[in-house]
Amino acid sequence: MLAAPHKQTQAEGAKLPPATGRQFRDVRAASKLSRGAAKGLAITYLSLIVLIPLAALMTNAFNKGLGSFWTAVTQTESIDALRLTLLCAFVASAINAVAGLATAWVLVRDRFAGQAIVNALIDLPFALPTVVAGVTFYTLYGPLSPFHVNITGTWIGVTVAIMFVTLPFTVRSVQPVLESLTFNAESAAATLGASPARIFRTITLPALMPALLTGTGLAFARAIGEYGSVVFISNNLPYRSEVASSYIYSLAVSDQTNSAASVAVALLIIALILLIFFNVTAQRLAKRRA
Amino acid sequence: MTRSKLILRCVVLFYIAALIGVPLIFVFQQAFLHGFGAFFSALHDPAMDHAMLLTALVAVVAVPLNVIFGVGASLWIVRHPSRFTRALDTVIDVPLAISPIIVGLVLELVYAQGGWFGAGLAKLGRHVMFSFPGIVMASIFVSLPLVSRQVIPLLREIGDHQEQTASTLGAGPVRIFFSITLRSITWAAAYGVSLTLARVIGEYGAVLIVSGNIALVTQTLTLNIGANFDNFNNYQGFVGAVLLALSSIVLLLILGVARHRERKRDEYLA
Repeated sequence: MLAAPHKQTQAEGAKLPPATGRQFRDVRAASKLSRGAAKGLAITYLSLIVLIPLAALMTNAFNKGLGSFWTAVTQTESIDALRLTLLCAFVASAINAVAGLATAWVLVRDRFAGQAIVNALIDLPFALPTVVAGVTFYTLYGPLSPFHVNITGTWIGVTVAIMFVTLPFTVRSVQPVLESLTFNAESAAATLGASPARIFRTITLPALMPALLTGTGLAFARAIGEYGSVVFISNNLPYRSEVASSYIYSLAVSDQTNSAASVAVALLIIALILLIFFNVTAQRLAKRRA
Repeated sequence: MTRSKLILRCVVLFYIAALIGVPLIFVFQQAFLHGFGAFFSALHDPAMDHAMLLTALVAVVAVPLNVIFGVGASLWIVRHPSRFTRALDTVIDVPLAISPIIVGLVLELVYAQGGWFGAGLAKLGRHVMFSFPGIVMASIFVSLPLVSRQVIPLLREIGDHQEQTASTLGAGPVRIFFSITLRSITWAAAYGVSLTLARVIGEYGAVLIVSGNIALVTQTLTLNIGANFDNFNNYQGFVGAVLLALSSIVLLLILGVARHRERKRDEYLA
């Protein structure tokens, strides 16, 4: 791995007339060997931890046939869990698309005291362990709530927890684009008499759209698989407030591994389709602008 | 214009305060509810202390492994492009799209007693599931792409001119790596390392499945907090939560410094 940056010169060296001295050949052989060893180690690492386990997931989901996969996924409890997960993920990412855009705008275009602190706070959901967020929201908005608001066991509770963990995704994807945006087009529109709202709608927003979509896609993918921050406030009531990851957990610990694997594969497929959809749309928008 | 700007500022500040500020303050308020004395005596909970130690040990093993893998894989992907590395580039990012619960499940399918390798490993007297190696593997899985996602774009941007120059001047690959490559990616890598550390310390779902969550044996700090809440021992739970919140604030500060240094580098180059 250490020798990796040396490749370019290696390739050029290969084009030169064959190296003479035996020592030189030995050094090159040794470097090639260590690089090969490093690559092999990297692939082994990736295989043992990611690739083989994922292959085992596929095998376990389908080894009793497509029929049993379909039965596991279309159980009422599974359908309800998947539906709730998608609903909460959709509502939370839609709210955060708007809120994230507004936050990024205020952080870039506005100046006020304490802005640096607000900017740093945005990253907190990335750094704060999900279980801490989970127990905090449970205590804030649960049966012991100091505000006397109890949203445990409802889709609203799940959505609030997801809103917390996904806020940074939208803000942090829009913010750099907004920073690099020059005022030229906006000033021109303003001198031509366009209202601020119209300038935002026709000039600023279209420029931010690809980044906003990418960020929302990431938020959605994260929301679909969220567990630690959601599990306390949701109370995991089957058919009512149980999210998909929680359902998979209950199947896994009750030794229904094939069903667990099937629902997991269904959830992964949904996440993959959504990620591809958001990325393709974002790329298409970016291309149209260029 | 100024007025609508002010309204927007207030709305955004209210949203951030309600969604992020209030919960953060609330964690501290709950932990210090009974004063400092109670807080410090709660720190001597044996189950929590063991959990803290285990979390630290997991981080000490998992983070360096992922940093070495992340930097190495980034160099491979950027400097030796081929069809294979393009696939690798995609595969590395896969863990980010997978639910932590599914991460725990897939590791169980391979390394548990009834799994693909579980029986063989048990015959050798080795146990991965419900023990330390399993927790480390789950932590590695969930934080795998965090370093390479920071380093790859930077390596692409800076190119390899300096390395080639050093090479023609007779520097060996090891010297080039340490005095040029590593130096130019230091802050991006530091950013990735802090993200990795935050993720490893804070992982809950994946570790919940692979560890078995046995107090004083395989319970990490996040699991300990969850268990305290399940047992209606909320105060002790919040004491653990404050420790994790403090560590994430420290990490945030490091992240801020790393990002600031990266921006400075950009300005210097421009």
